Amino acid sequence: MVPTMRRDHFNSQSFGSPLNTMVKEARILMVGAGGIGCELLKNLVLTGFGEIHIVDLDTIDLSNLNRQFLFRHEHIKKSKALVAKEAAHAFNPRVKLEAHHANIKDPQFNVRWFKGFTMVFNALDNLEARRHVNKMCLAAEVPLIESGTTGFNGQVQVIKKGVTACYDCAPKETPKSFPVCTIRSTPSQPIHCIVWGKSYLLSEVFGTSEDESVEMDHSEDSENAKEIEKLRQESQALKNIKESMGTPSFPQLLFDKVYHDDVVRLRSMEEMWKTRRPPEALSYASIIEQAAETEISKEKVLKDGQRVWNLHENVVVFKDSLERLSRRFEEMKSSKSNGNSAEPTITFDKDDEDTLDFVTASANLRSLVFGIETKSRFDIKQMAGNIIPAIATTNAIVAGLCVLESFKVLRGEVSATKEVFLSPFAPERLLSSDRYRAPNPDCPVCSVAQVQLLVDMSRATLNDLVEDFLRLELGYGEEIVVNHGDSLLYDVEETDNLTKKLGELGIKSDSFLTVIDEDDENPKGPRVNLVLSVQESETLGDKPIKGVDLPASAVTENDAPASPILRKKKPSQPSNGTYGTVAATTTNGNLTVSNGTKRLFSEVEEGSSPKRVKLATNGDGSNDNAIVIDDGAIVIDD
Amino acid sequence: MTAVITDQAPPILKGPSDKEKKYDRQLRLWAASGQQALEDAHILLLNSGAGTVGVETLKNLVLPGIGKFTIADNATVKHADLGVNFFLDEDCLGKPRSECCVKLLQELNPDVKGDWFPREKGESLESLFGHGHNFTLIMYSLPIEAESLALVQKYAEKNQVPLLSIHSAGFYSYFRIHLPGTFPIVDTHPESTATTDLRLLTPWPELSKFAADVTADIENQSAHEHGHIPYVALLLHYLGKWKDIHGSLPSTYKEKTAFRDTVSAGARRDNPEGGEENFDEATAAVLKTISAPSLASSVKEVFDYKPSEVEASSSFWVITDAIKQFYGKHNALPLPGSVPDMKAQSTIYVQLQNIYKAKARRDISEVLEIVRAHPSGKDVEVAEIETFSKNAAFIKLIRGIDSTPPSIQTIASQEFENDKTAELTMMPLSLLPIYLSLNATSHLPSASSSDILATVGKDVLGASDNQRLVEAAEEVARAKGGELHNISALTGGMVAQEVIKIITKQYIPIDNTCVFDGIISRAQVLRI
Repeated sequence: MVPTMRRDHFNSQSFGSPLNTMVKEARILMVGAGGIGCELLKNLVLTGFGEIHIVDLDTIDLSNLNRQFLFRHEHIKKSKALVAKEAAHAFNPRVKLEAHHANIKDPQFNVRWFKGFTMVFNALDNLEARRHVNKMCLAAEVPLIESGTTGFNGQVQVIKKGVTACYDCAPKETPKSFPVCTIRSTPSQPIHCIVWGKSYLLSEVFGTSEDESVEMDHSEDSENAKEIEKLRQESQALKNIKESMGTPSFPQLLFDKVYHDDVVRLRSMEEMWKTRRPPEALSYASIIEQAAETEISKEKVLKDGQRVWNLHENVVVFKDSLERLSRRFEEMKSSKSNGNSAEPTITFDKDDEDTLDFVTASANLRSLVFGIETKSRFDIKQMAGNIIPAIATTNAIVAGLCVLESFKVLRGEVSATKEVFLSPFAPERLLSSDRYRAPNPDCPVCSVAQVQLLVDMSRATLNDLVEDFLRLELGYGEEIVVNHGDSLLYDVEETDNLTKKLGELGIKSDSFLTVIDEDDENPKGPRVNLVLSVQESETLGDKPIKGVDLPASAVTENDAPASPILRKKKPSQPSNGTYGTVAATTTNGNLTVSNGTKRLFSEVEEGSSPKRVKLATNGDGSNDNAIVIDDGAIVIDD
Repeated sequence: MTAVITDQAPPILKGPSDKEKKYDRQLRLWAASGQQALEDAHILLLNSGAGTVGVETLKNLVLPGIGKFTIADNATVKHADLGVNFFLDEDCLGKPRSECCVKLLQELNPDVKGDWFPREKGESLESLFGHGHNFTLIMYSLPIEAESLALVQKYAEKNQVPLLSIHSAGFYSYFRIHLPGTFPIVDTHPESTATTDLRLLTPWPELSKFAADVTADIENQSAHEHGHIPYVALLLHYLGKWKDIHGSLPSTYKEKTAFRDTVSAGARRDNPEGGEENFDEATAAVLKTISAPSLASSVKEVFDYKPSEVEASSSFWVITDAIKQFYGKHNALPLPGSVPDMKAQSTIYVQLQNIYKAKARRDISEVLEIVRAHPSGKDVEVAEIETFSKNAAFIKLIRGIDSTPPSIQTIASQEFENDKTAELTMMPLSLLPIYLSLNATSHLPSASSSDILATVGKDVLGASDNQRLVEAAEEVARAKGGELHNISALTGGMVAQEVIKIITKQYIPIDNTCVFDGIISRAQVLRI
């Protein structure tokens, strides 16, 4: 009956005044404006959070619209972060919103920037970015609310340095990889042929050749050198055929090369087929003749992605998609020709129909050669594109749980936070929660000491860091290793860099250095790893390197000098559960199920190559190239 | 019939492939059949109270492409609505809440039709139900006027429509599903590990022959052959030997572990690995796969149910009847036919797969024959029979709310009794007090805690002496019927999830009430 009931009437009534004020004064960072992000932003805005920053590098795609409700059809191809900001602003003009269409790993988002937030929400879809934000929040000592969904499953976890486990305290499953020879010579499952179509054939014809590709590991070993050399010759022959791209004979040349000549050669290696069904070569001319009728109804075939195509249909799609890709490739070449010598490339994208059609047809044709079950384009899209099912309902539940945990963080009650899991297949529960886990004492990411380092780049040498700072000031002994990312800067035998300035070694503001104590002789054991985050500073005194907020020397040690960097504790029991590999189902974007490959690994052991095709994640944070193996999709027939 | 809004709608997506792309991520969960069911559905929301939780639920149904929805709501938009309801903006102030929400919800998905009620001021709810709509499912949010509730319950009862109630206030919420009669589910999506059915104790001739062939002269096989005998064949081989010695198959736990040792002892260990992977697999599979087939209690329940005359002619019950006969004859359900991955040579593995597939096909055609012989079995689709046969071990029947449900007093005594042990073992306590307190305000937007306790006390003895009930009542009283957006959004996600399960007839919906406590982020499902 109050005529002018305030907008936040219900909030202040239920929260009570202190929490309502904390919510209004909070500065929030939300990383990711996708499925969870849209829900979360709506909830944050309507809960009354005062200031929200949104970072997302992605643009809007049609397949987002079934759940990312801040976006409409007319927003396709626009920045998620910017559109989300505008949409949310309309609903509560009083909230301060800032959007960055950028990668969260960009240097502008440094530790200092993270420190400016009350709390960070991860609403991401990939492992790499999650790990990065986890690391930054630990370094900045800002609480992080981490969440993820896959289909009906979902999970929420609060991460606070020194109190809870961090994202990396439990090892995550790494993407599946395949032996090279399984992919190139002895496929036995649809996935092998799909990987062949996507990571070998497509990239040989339209991308960087596999010899230069990071996806394939070709380190030599004498046993299989012969076969690898043969494969290399095949690739070379393929390059020659590539020259005829754009001519009418190109599809036939390519087809007969990979489905006839290479197959005949493979088949001639009788040893290989003693225990396997030998492959049957296909011939382009005769099939395309028989497929004349199918060719007329080509459009209809292309529309029908749910049905499994037959041989003729696959050949027709092979030819058609190859011609489409060739035209694109030629266009890219001619528009790039002035001045730029680099070859254009077309890489697999699950939402790029031309590449999807090509991979579907070429994988299925290979399956037909090897007597393997063929698959529909719909299924191949999922297997090749690492598609995680995603729906609005799960995201709504998870985003709501994130905000509930944030209230506890705001009140300073991190010890009351829960790890909450959606348990959709336990209809007697729907949700289950666990007490938060304590940090894993062996975690390489959070169980380390962290020190911020002010460095005068014009003067500081590695020697200043190692001798003056680490040994004299922090009390390290001789046996230490200093790493910058994956590269070694210093150890007892690697002393060449000592006289070099840090800048010359590629170190700049926001670089992270890791110091590892290898002094195993000390009866108290080596120190925990030390992570140094570098900040440039020109106003230092006589010393060119200075530590900020060095932890006070907590333990008085007999073996002077005393050091603030603690020694590794004896492993203690975590408060909740173990640190087994986290179930694949609960981390959106990281789903990798490692079943369904036993047979081929063991077959490869029989004198073949142990090499793996490495299907690493994309550098840009979307892991579209990781292959998901859902054992249901592969070995279970339907 | 009333008109459908068309103004300001974004472009309709063209062609089936665009639609497939838009719904790609969900088609992978409920497939084209589930999507079709959603698109054929018409959902009614009777919106009342603070009015957010129902709209949030609809949002999660409009996005995946429900066919049509209607909001019936008498409220006009006030300032406080704007702070809690995302689907209202400043321009909506003073306008009908139903119309404003429908328009903004519809923007989410141009493929969905939206409608609101009343179209004219003062139109009574009765006229909505008189319009000849065929609602697939009805939801109402609480608190609601008793007369409206009676009306909607009557309609749902008469037309056998699933009915859901939703109540969100402050940090608390609950929702309750009222299914008409029985609700059978074929496609329950069991976990893939649960679906392995190898029939090792009752092999059919082709399978026995296969096992005998690949284990022939097993002692003298080459290392490669021996190390690649699929574990299915290994187990059958050793089961045969066991039977020769013991006269029967291993049945007790003790016998099975002894059998496991026999299998393990068959592995060759004089190799660099010190064992064989296929034997490891066989050993590991003994306890899981060497057991007499037994009917899951949920399937038994389906078999034992006596469908009414109307129900009996539906394809579900016709196929159930056929499967039951099949089971009576073979003492086993139709074979699903899938084979898990295992160490084996490719050709041998494919052979094995084909043996299981062929048997599955034979079983299906037998079921098909029985179905066709049924008086109502002529038009049952083959695809439905196939799906049913493959899922036979996992079919599930959800019963509607009993005609004589246990009294609230009975449930409360049970829950509070459980709490006594839960308290000692630090287990979470029952959320029933939340349900009871919310339920006491079903028709009142705001009430004092003593009013709430008095109402609860009519059904539950000693309500005002129960500390947890008093606390819950105080929290509900404090909210004064106000919704927190975040709690309503979360609840709306859970409700929509169940609605999708019910409409697609896939996955198992909860039975029948879910209570959520947003203070401790916990949910509990109770059958009330």
